[in-house]
Amino acid sequence: MERLNQLSGQLSPSSKQALLKKNPDDVVIVGAYRTALTRGGKGKFKDVGSDYILTAFLKEFVKKTGVDVNLIEDVAVGNVLNRSAGAFEHRGAALASGIPNTAAFVAINRQCSSGLMAVSDIANKIKTGEIDCGLAAGVESMSSNYGPQSLPKVSEQLQNDPEMQKCLIPMGITNENVVKKHNIPRSKQDAFAAASYQKAEKAVSSGAFKDEILPIESFLAEEDDDENVTWKSIVVDTDEGPRPGVTAESLGKLKPAFAKDGTTHAGNASQVSDGAAAVLLMRRSLAEQKGYKIEGKFVLCTSAGVPPEIMGIGPAVAIPRVLQKTGLKVSDVDVFEVNEAFAAQCLYSAESVNIPSEKLNIRGGAIALGHPLGATGARQYATILRLLKPGQIGLTSMCIGTGMGAASVLIKE
Amino acid sequence: MLSFRTRGYNGYAVQYSPYFDNKLAVATAANYGLVGNGRLFVLNIEPNGTISSPISWETQDGLFDIAWSEIHENQLTAASGDGSIKLFDLTVGEFPVMNWKEHTREVFSVNWNLVDKANFVSASWDGTIKIWSPQRAQSLLTLNPGSTDYTTRTSPLQQTAKPPMSHQQQHQGANTAQCIYNASFSPHSPSTLISCDGSSHVQIWDTRQPHPLQIDWVAHGGMETLSCDWNKYKSTIVASAGTDKSVRVWDLRMLTNIDQPQSQAPMPAYHIRGPTPLNQLLGHEFAVRKVQWSPHDSQELLSTSYDMTARVWRDESNDRARFLNMNNGGCKGVMGAHKEFVIGCDYSLWGEPGWAATTGWDEMVHVWDSKRL
Repeated sequence: MERLNQLSGQLSPSSKQALLKKNPDDVVIVGAYRTALTRGGKGKFKDVGSDYILTAFLKEFVKKTGVDVNLIEDVAVGNVLNRSAGAFEHRGAALASGIPNTAAFVAINRQCSSGLMAVSDIANKIKTGEIDCGLAAGVESMSSNYGPQSLPKVSEQLQNDPEMQKCLIPMGITNENVVKKHNIPRSKQDAFAAASYQKAEKAVSSGAFKDEILPIESFLAEEDDDENVTWKSIVVDTDEGPRPGVTAESLGKLKPAFAKDGTTHAGNASQVSDGAAAVLLMRRSLAEQKGYKIEGKFVLCTSAGVPPEIMGIGPAVAIPRVLQKTGLKVSDVDVFEVNEAFAAQCLYSAESVNIPSEKLNIRGGAIALGHPLGATGARQYATILRLLKPGQIGLTSMCIGTGMGAASVLIKE
Repeated sequence: MLSFRTRGYNGYAVQYSPYFDNKLAVATAANYGLVGNGRLFVLNIEPNGTISSPISWETQDGLFDIAWSEIHENQLTAASGDGSIKLFDLTVGEFPVMNWKEHTREVFSVNWNLVDKANFVSASWDGTIKIWSPQRAQSLLTLNPGSTDYTTRTSPLQQTAKPPMSHQQQHQGANTAQCIYNASFSPHSPSTLISCDGSSHVQIWDTRQPHPLQIDWVAHGGMETLSCDWNKYKSTIVASAGTDKSVRVWDLRMLTNIDQPQSQAPMPAYHIRGPTPLNQLLGHEFAVRKVQWSPHDSQELLSTSYDMTARVWRDESNDRARFLNMNNGGCKGVMGAHKEFVIGCDYSLWGEPGWAATTGWDEMVHVWDSKRL
């Protein structure tokens, strides 16, 4: 029998077998959690900033994973809307949460993939031997930072440059461009969005997210008649985005938001949300030595560029690229988490890669749960690790504003 | 092309006699070598082009390799799956004339010393390499790459100073990390050996030294190294082949200390890629099982693979200057006559250069001309 095992090891017919092997220099995921995602401007995080959300969340994260914070050598935090991607306040938040100042810090912003880029950054540092253990996180307070102040400033000399203009197109319009180019009927988009709502609602009501959400304390500012502010403490433990009873018909009544003849509306686009998520990564040899429970193995993350005016097709390019680089086939992957920035772009990407719908966003996506920009990439890790069974392969992906896509492959253990 | 069928037995190794231009020996195993008997065939190539088998011996376990004696024209040794090494004599039927049993697991290779001709070397899945003399009942020397003391006997090597292993026991069903697939003497020096193992390493040994291990490097990026061979003309050039489907050519002078474990400094965990080969030959679609340099040409190699082909390669790399490498090397021929995995091969030392023999799981031995593919 051992001779047979030896032989099959030498043959390893697909890359899947090689990837499933556990090697001591693998990058492994020791913990992945998130906060509940709250509604932007209205939800339970509306009066606190991203720094507070991150601090409170990381405190719980460290407690939950039981990690020795002195092992953490680098902290990468993805964020999109804060000034300088939160380089100051999120370093402060990391220290305030109890991570020692001996751990380095980097703020990462690649738009909607920032959370995933933080994971990729830490994983690659472990791969090259730069560090042995690192924390990748993403956080966004769209309540505080989403709005006119987040619009880019462009020099006069470049304002009429066609390439520059493409990068300034509002995201909703880029989605309308995808819809026009690939003829995606509104009925199909609404059905997809309704399915996302129904899956998310079922997951929330059945408590399927309980394992990945760390409840944290938040504060609501209450002004009395003399404009004195008092802070009321509340616990945030449930996603606010999903709502019951959403159907394709009910979504069909909504007015288009970006163009009169358009098809993108509030019900088939991702929600404006607040939230945070984090992934703790280590080299397998360290995790085994310290006795941490290994949740999964990080395999690879790649990014790819696409035309900025149709940025939503990013996953359709990034997913084949990561599969090609890992030597996997679409059928090798058991669960896909493809971010639903808009129903049309997600639908187009999934169809062009041939992702079976039963493997895609099993517990709903950003249309129902919300899309706290910088946190989404890390949030997908928290979700997908609860959907995979040991030995199964998962893939996360998203489109990225200004024309990119990112995709990553991980294996549940 | 001449052919012979080893009916009921799947071929693992084939070798031309160094004494008779028409004799070949073939090591075979029943049931694809997974379980069951073995048989050692001696084949005669007749003047009319047919191949006959005047004698063969049945063994208790599968046979994985053979080595003709360089000092006795009638004798040859065979490596057995039960850990034994057997010496057979063409004039003695039915039973081996000698049986050595020291290895505790499958023996995967035997190779005769081409320079001093008095001894031969075996390599086994038990993680050891043993040197034997046909005159003696016990082995002369045991080399063990897994527990080599790189410094002194009193201060054993730190675990961390060892090179990283990509296949650790706790991670694998069949642990082949310790498995030595091949060991052979240099054709240029009677005391120098090369060996390769399942943890991707290739080792160079000098048995005259108090610490025989001279060079140790990761040759196939963490994948198993299944075969290695010395260039017959250039004493510092070797080739290795592995489960990464590649054949790699190395210049031993180019392997620096940084590629090797040291007693003082731990090998960094990321140092799994190993040094850069002088040349890399790609084309096989599955793991390469055996690689052999031509005895007639310093730039020609022969390889066999699980992709059911044997391939002839031209290595145009220049060991004096890598930047002078020509682009006209590479695969020069694909031999596709086998219908199953091709496992063993050997170049003929006789007659017109270029003749070779291959054997494999399709129970066939083919003798063919690598110049006329």
